[in-house]
This record gives sequence, C-alpha cells and structure tokens, in this order.
Amino acid sequence: MALLEIRDLTVRYGEIEAVRGISFSVEAGEVVTLLGSNGAGKSTTLKTISGLVKPAGGEVLFEGRSLLGLKPEEIVRRGVAHVPEGRRVFPGLTVRENIMLGASNRKGLSTRQIKDEAEGMFELFPDIRRFGDALGWTLSGGQLQMVALARGLMAKPRILLLDEPSLGLAPVIVQAVFAIIAEVRRRGTTVLLVEQNARMGLSVADRGYVLETGQLVLSGAPQDLWANDDIRAAYLGGRAKAEALAH
Amino acid sequence: MDLILQLLFTGIGIGAVYALVALGFVLIFRATNVVNFAQGEFSMVAAFLMVVFAVDLQWPYWLSFLLAIGGMAALGALFNLGVYYPLRHRTYLPVIISTIGASIFLANTTLALYGPQPQVLPPVFETQGFLVGPVYLDTQYLLIIAVTAVLVAFQYWFFEHTLIGKKLQATSQDKEMAALLGIPVAGMIMLTFVYSAVLGGIAGILVAPVLFVSIQMGATIALKAFAATIIGGFGDVTGAIIGGLALGIIETFGAAYISVPYKDAFAFIVLVAFLALRPQGIFGERIAEKA
Repeated sequence: MALLEIRDLTVRYGEIEAVRGISFSVEAGEVVTLLGSNGAGKSTTLKTISGLVKPAGGEVLFEGRSLLGLKPEEIVRRGVAHVPEGRRVFPGLTVRENIMLGASNRKGLSTRQIKDEAEGMFELFPDIRRFGDALGWTLSGGQLQMVALARGLMAKPRILLLDEPSLGLAPVIVQAVFAIIAEVRRRGTTVLLVEQNARMGLSVADRGYVLETGQLVLSGAPQDLWANDDIRAAYLGGRAKAEALAH
Repeated sequence: MDLILQLLFTGIGIGAVYALVALGFVLIFRATNVVNFAQGEFSMVAAFLMVVFAVDLQWPYWLSFLLAIGGMAALGALFNLGVYYPLRHRTYLPVIISTIGASIFLANTTLALYGPQPQVLPPVFETQGFLVGPVYLDTQYLLIIAVTAVLVAFQYWFFEHTLIGKKLQATSQDKEMAALLGIPVAGMIMLTFVYSAVLGGIAGILVAPVLFVSIQMGATIALKAFAATIIGGFGDVTGAIIGGLALGIIETFGAAYISVPYKDAFAFIVLVAFLALRPQGIFGERIAEKA
C-alpha cells in the first residue's frame, strides 16, 4: 500500500478546472517530484492534500485512510506537513519561535522539549543558527526557506509536502536548499516535492511526474524524464514554448 | 507644579481605562482583521453586571467582580460564535456590520432590562483618597492604574513567554499557515474574543465608580479607545497602551487649562491631527515593516 495515494483528483476554482482527474502515489521512503510550469496545478494538488482546498472529485488516501473533509489542523496531526509556496514564515515571530511552532501538531511535548528540538534543527541548518532571535521579516529568501523547512521538519512528518523550495532563490542558495532536501531524504522522511526547476527537482527524486494544465502527461524515473524532450520543454516553461523552439 | 502632578495622575488613571479597551480592539483586530465596534459595550455590560450583583443583590464586591468577569468571558465566547464565526470566511464589511448590530443589540437589551436612568456603582475602597505631598491620590484611580499595570505585564508575559501566546501571534499573522502547522485556529480566535471581552469588562468595572453606569458609557469609552489605537498606531499593542495614556493625559490637561465643556472634544482634535499629519500613528512604522 502506498503511503499517499491520489485517485482521479479534480479541483475547480469557480469555472476553472485547475486539476483534471490526476492519479499518482508516493511510497514510504520515496522522494517524488511533481514538475510543471506556472498554473499547471502543482500547488493546487498540494493544497488539496493538506486540506486548504476542497476538491470537486476524487480521493486522497494517506496510509489507506481518506483525508478528504478533514481540516488542515487534523491532516498535519496525522503526519502530513506542508511547506507552502512563499515560505510563509511568521514575520513578527523570531526564527526560533517559528521553528518551535512547527511542533504544534504533536501532542504531549513540554515547551522545554520543543525548545531543545528546535535548537537541534540548527545542526541541520547551521546557516540560520545565528539568526535564532531575529524576527522573520528581517531574513532573506534563502534564509526564510531554511526556516520554513526546519519548521516543517519539526512536525516529525510521515510525509513532507514541499512547494517550490527553489522559487526566487539565487542558484548557490538553491544548491544549499536541495542539499538539505537530500539529507532529509537520507534520514528517511518521505517527500512530495513540487518544482519548476526540473534539473534540481529531479536530482533528489526517486520518481517524477509531469503536470500540464491540470493533467499528468508523463511519469517515470528521473533519468528517463530528463532524457525526454517533453521534460526539457517543461523545464523551459511549457510545451508551447518548446514547440515554438522546435519549429 | 502641584496642579500639573495632580492632573497627570488623573490623566494616567483615565488613560489606563482607554488603554485597556484599546488593547481589546487591537487583539481582536489582529486575530480577525476586523474592528469590533461592540468593544465598548463589553465595558458597559460588565458595569451593569456589577450593579446587579453588588448593588441590587448586595453581594460582596469581590464575588460580584468574579461573577461579572465570568459573565464577560461567557459573553466573549457567545459573541465569537454568534457575531464573528458564521462570517469568518467573508470580507471585513459583513463582520463589521455584524459587530455594529451586536453593539446596538447589547445597548438596547440593557436599556430594556434596566431603563434609561444612570446607575451608581460605589468604589472598591471606603477611603476616598489621601494626600501624598501636594497631590491628592484618589483610591479608585490608584486601583485603575495598578490593575492596568498588572494586566499589561501579564499580557506581555503571556504573549512573549508562553507557547500559547506565540500560537496566538502566529494565528493573527497568518491564519492559513497556523492551521497548516496544526495550531487550532478557531480555538485561538475564541480565546482572543474571551480575553478581549474580559479586558473590556475590567475597564468598565474599574471606571464605573468614576463615571455613572449608563447605556452610553460604552460608546464614549470605545470612541476614546479607538482614537487611542489610531494615535498609537493601529494594530500595535504598545501603541494602544501609549495612545490610551496619552489621550487620558491630553484630555485632562485640556479640560483644566483650556475648557471643561470641550473635554471630550480634545481626544478627537488630537485624532484628527494624527490622521492628517501622521496617519500611521506613533508606532505605525513597525507595522509597515511587519506587513
């Protein structure tokens, strides 16, 4: 049984069908990457899994049980942590406080334990250790992404949903972020990653899916996808652009 | 000099009441992004509850106080469930109209139950006051200042040094992200309404012996407190406290040195001046940075 299974998922925003009957699965211990350009429905898919968006049809199964109809608070308590697009670090709280709040889904922890665990996160994220007492709004994009990842890991998730961790970051920072994702994977956390950056997205993945205008058009091992012309098209920003280039 | 000290004492006393009500405004605004126009009615209802328990029923003052505060906590919870919660996914406008409706409802229910005559709530202490050097310290004003100081200190400790305080702050900054972390957002907002109703209630009970207990007292206090939040910088906790104290001092000095009949006008003259010259308030820039 797959850890996470999406069956025939359809999501509408008013008249617009953002996700059109997609099905895929993530096995325990895997890193799976959803690739696609802007508006392909990647973020919407993650938001539906974490309960922020209600689907029009289909099923989301986690450990064999449906997540549909549950509130985001309940879903994260089951072990599905979502690090959304734009990091969403609380601007008026310090880095340490932001990370500590990541454990809000876990019951029966003392404040002391949470504080110690948050301190422990700085082992994995040494770059943000010295900003522990800085307020969220004072940090740069790369630092915010580190805080958002640390906060997500504090949930001790069975699966981590990552939405565009490379977005808006300088290449060297993107490298650092993906090094951490590789480390997270090595420690045994299952990851569902959404990316526009196909090269980086596939570099850490066991399998990949390509999403285009709400539909899955390709799936396979990273090296196969990378060899495929369509994926190069997605990497360049959509099929239309690739076709234009081909002609 | 003596008169100045005397006025300063009175001004801080009345300003402390504005500060407490202003804090209620700010906390609810930060949690829901909406101004609660019934905040002043919380003060009015609590003062009437005190009149019922301590004057009509002749129960001990401390028991009446605990019952009134318990009543305010319940009112805050009901207010959240009836006035805010059903509209939480709407824009700010329906929610504001809903709080205005609740304000009218609370005032007129009190009017129907108690009639239009202002009531009198006796002060807590039998001693009216005493002289320290040249300054006459009214015991009720001393109590107001002391209770406000304790509440402000408690609130600082609660928000800055407890995990639940951090969860409340997180909820007020980004509700969706708070939910994604497993913070019970609806529970946090409930807590905010209960606490704000209790704060407003304490302000009403404290100020009741100084003013008359009347249906209009809520609106008067709320308008001053609202002006205080704008002067302080809307949405800022420190700003609400500083703004409230400043307003109390300004109107007391204005009444003494310029004109007594225009006492209530001074608050609004200052408000207009701030809106024209520094609309972000004293502490406004901090919020701009946060946004």
